[in-house]
Amino acid sequence: MSSENNNKKVNDGEMLLSVKDLTVQYTSMGSVVRAVNGVSFDLKRGQTLALVGETGAGKTSIAKAILRILPDISATAKGSVVFDGEDLMKLKDKDMEKIRGHKISMIFQDPMTALNPIMRVGRQISEVLTAHRHLTREEAVEEGKKMLEMVGIPAERYNEFPHQFSGGMKQRVVIAMALACTPELLLADEPTTALDVTIQAQVLELINDLKERLNTSMILITHDLGVVNETCDDVAVVYAGKIIESGKKRDVFKNPLHPYTNGLFGALPNMNLDSERLSPIEGLPPDPTDLPDGCAFAPRCPYATDKCRQGDIPAVEVEPGHFCECIRVHEIRKEQ
Amino acid sequence: MALIEVQHLKKYFDVPNGTLHAVDDVSFKIEKGTTMGVVGESGCGKSTLGTTIIHLQESTGGKILFDGQDVTHLDKKQLYDYRENVQIIFQDPYSSLNPRYNIAKTIMEPLQISKRFKSKEEVRAEADRIMDLVGIEKRLRGAYPHELDGGRRQRVGIGRALALNPKFIVCDEPVSALDVSIQAQVLNLLMDLQDKQGLTYMFVTHDLSVVRHISDNICVMYLGQLVETCPSKKLFAKPLHPYTKALLSAIPSTDVDHKMQRVQLKGELTSPINPKPGCRFAARCLYATEACRQPQQLREIEKDHFVQCCRIEELN
Repeated sequence: MSSENNNKKVNDGEMLLSVKDLTVQYTSMGSVVRAVNGVSFDLKRGQTLALVGETGAGKTSIAKAILRILPDISATAKGSVVFDGEDLMKLKDKDMEKIRGHKISMIFQDPMTALNPIMRVGRQISEVLTAHRHLTREEAVEEGKKMLEMVGIPAERYNEFPHQFSGGMKQRVVIAMALACTPELLLADEPTTALDVTIQAQVLELINDLKERLNTSMILITHDLGVVNETCDDVAVVYAGKIIESGKKRDVFKNPLHPYTNGLFGALPNMNLDSERLSPIEGLPPDPTDLPDGCAFAPRCPYATDKCRQGDIPAVEVEPGHFCECIRVHEIRKEQ
Repeated sequence: MALIEVQHLKKYFDVPNGTLHAVDDVSFKIEKGTTMGVVGESGCGKSTLGTTIIHLQESTGGKILFDGQDVTHLDKKQLYDYRENVQIIFQDPYSSLNPRYNIAKTIMEPLQISKRFKSKEEVRAEADRIMDLVGIEKRLRGAYPHELDGGRRQRVGIGRALALNPKFIVCDEPVSALDVSIQAQVLNLLMDLQDKQGLTYMFVTHDLSVVRHISDNICVMYLGQLVETCPSKKLFAKPLHPYTKALLSAIPSTDVDHKMQRVQLKGELTSPINPKPGCRFAARCLYATEACRQPQQLREIEKDHFVQCCRIEELN
């Protein structure tokens, strides 16, 4: 354990995950839903990347594709997901099972449904340990109790059922399960959306603290820009299955480039200003079964021209490390 | 004059292991044409407060005044009239619409029940006017809820609530199920309607940035008790109650340079079943003393700024 951790420390800053041209499509009642359309990003060890976007933007599909837990029957994923030098997309199912829950694990959005209601919470944590770390039952119980205490739940509650816990505590149990094998990569899908703000603050603090102690990398999926600000290093804004803007958190927050990113910030009620009206983004996100040509945001974009409605939109590096998929980005900045 | 006034309102529920105090001795006034925001965490009784005021359930004790009239106890006929004046917009636009009613029928139903209109044509014309008002395209008249996105569904919910020109609307988390870009559209709509029709809102939400944006006054609730109430600006500039301070400090900020000084709370919401007398927040409060276990009074600390905390002078 400890030597493994030391090892990780030495490798700090090294590339852990590299996703290239990831696409995910679902077939549903004869039509093809293009959920993820050519997403690429890199993640270094110990870093946190936020995937920000609205409902249906494809954030969760990206995470599920990385972990290969998309439904076989209706979904197809293409592209490469290189994790620690290995392309996960090419692994055999059996080898993938060894990575899932061990080196990569996931925290799901809704703690009320992520736990098995008829299994004691302690058992749900130790199950991961017996499966991946081949501990004996006694060792797993011992370790499971330690995990519970690490997330701030007394070990005496090991034998209780999920319904005996409050929402915040259930989410802590889910976090304990995800961290049981000290994963190298944590996929957190809206981990605090179902929680109240004071509990959210506690859970975010806990995740930040554990991440630092175990030097885990994290992909945080959220629609809450405040949560992004409190936890992440890098940000990628997802719209209609594409990353339309990415960069360091400071750059994206201080200097949002894409009209959609600007729109998101404008639509947010500001806590520090007394503004009379919000400036919503007019219109609706596009139908993923019928995506428009060119830029998917063009139908809602106040700056769109005919050029925006055709062909592929390439990513432009506007400042070092700050990318934006908008062909008019320079002109728009001048206009502002 | 206050349109809505509640005095010592109580709503208790009998549950297997005792009495659940959902709303406990809450008093406040809402002036005509203003918005009262009610904030608090899930389970603090904020929705129960709203539904009790509009008589979706009967209060256990206390008084409700509407436009100066006592409406605490109503018979069937009075309730019928009261309902024309008070309406509610529900949180979840997915489950609050009848899936088997199309949009026109959903909006027309209250118009038909009211018998204000003589002919079907008049009802239809009025429904068209309302759809226009809340920004639903006419072509969607025959559409069913499952064909609409969340934002449009919520517009239908708002249209249904507005159908009879009510004076007072309880908005129970009307935007929390919507994405930010859509949320802004619906918030703007609600504010425009208030300007146009002089509506009075009670806006129940857990989202503090939304409540700051839309409210004139704010009530902060904790486990059925009203802990602080004052004008919105004052609350955000100078919160007094320890719980309000913790709640405000827990909101993640989108300002990269702004480091929030967080007041970390220990533990979670305790049970509202058979609560002990005294301040319910005491169990999590950093400043709680013996005096806090005694029954508390809501006191006016500054002008229009009411706080329920016996140690407030010492703490601030």
